Amino acid sequence: MLEDEKLLERYLSEELKVVNRSLPIKRKTLSELLREEYPHVLTRDGGIHMFRKSELRLAYELLGSELASKLYLPIILEVKTEFKETVMCVNDAVAAKLVAKILGLKYYELPLYIYPKQLSVLRRSIGTLIHYAFTFS
Amino acid sequence: MSQQVIRIVRPTKIELIRLRRRLAIARRLHKVLKDRLVILTQEFISLIKDALSLRKEIHKGLDLCDEKLAKALSVSTLREVEVLATTLYESFQVIVGSRVSAGVRVPLLDIEFSEYSNALTKKPLSLIDAARCYRSIIEKIAKLTEIEYSIYRIGAEVSRVKRRVNALEYILIPRLINTIKFLEMKFEEREREDKIRLKKVKELLLRRAGG
Repeated sequence: MLEDEKLLERYLSEELKVVNRSLPIKRKTLSELLREEYPHVLTRDGGIHMFRKSELRLAYELLGSELASKLYLPIILEVKTEFKETVMCVNDAVAAKLVAKILGLKYYELPLYIYPKQLSVLRRSIGTLIHYAFTFS
Repeated sequence: MSQQVIRIVRPTKIELIRLRRRLAIARRLHKVLKDRLVILTQEFISLIKDALSLRKEIHKGLDLCDEKLAKALSVSTLREVEVLATTLYESFQVIVGSRVSAGVRVPLLDIEFSEYSNALTKKPLSLIDAARCYRSIIEKIAKLTEIEYSIYRIGAEVSRVKRRVNALEYILIPRLINTIKFLEMKFEEREREDKIRLKKVKELLLRRAGG
């Protein structure tokens, strides 16, 4: 049984590495991505994360040219593991503005908390622009 | 839920501290995995909904497009339709990439059409309408391909994460709790034994001193 326990623990510690390994190495601004033919960023696991052009254009329409150069993509949704329920938050002000506009929130404050039910709305409109990161307190 | 206890070589306080630490880590891991499972399941369900509605749309759309094509054929010849089909688009590009969704790499397909600027001039409206209709169907088919493959990948990940979560929830954490409880009981018992032993020694010493 002791061997089983060790094996299980090893599996689980590997699991933690898996969840954050696909985070981007360097994020790009919306205006930079709009200029690219194939908008993408490189991820830590050596792969690429591509963005859908239609979603980039939607973000540009919602934010305008001034904020487009300030919005870094992908938007990182921090999954707060210290809370009892599954909650995600957006810390970046420009990203929070875009997310609030898509979710139809008139009033919000930073950090902007997002609940699983709102995720499907977000995923449908800007699915490729968001990325999850698991944080540990 | 597992009622088993982890086999410990020596029931010591250090072991108890170690077990408590392991329990804390296991609980944190469980929370992380559960959060990931919630996100993945949410994604999985909405992908299935999307796939279903898209499939319906494609089937309906194909019927509609066929009707439009039949209408178009009533005003133009088959040759004209064939010529339009081959000369409508300057280029047709399918961009195949990948994106990451909650740690799962899923495909991304994007279709780009570039039409000749004068391809649709002087063409019957019904023919233009049919061409536009088929174009939207192709776009939807590409989207459906992407969604269905994503469902397969995310579904596999959901079942993998679920196994881990269940292993933690029903095996590891209960075992750790049971072992901690067992050790605590063992220490309490030892404490009680020590107290009784001390009492006995005290009584013995008092008896000897009295005698």
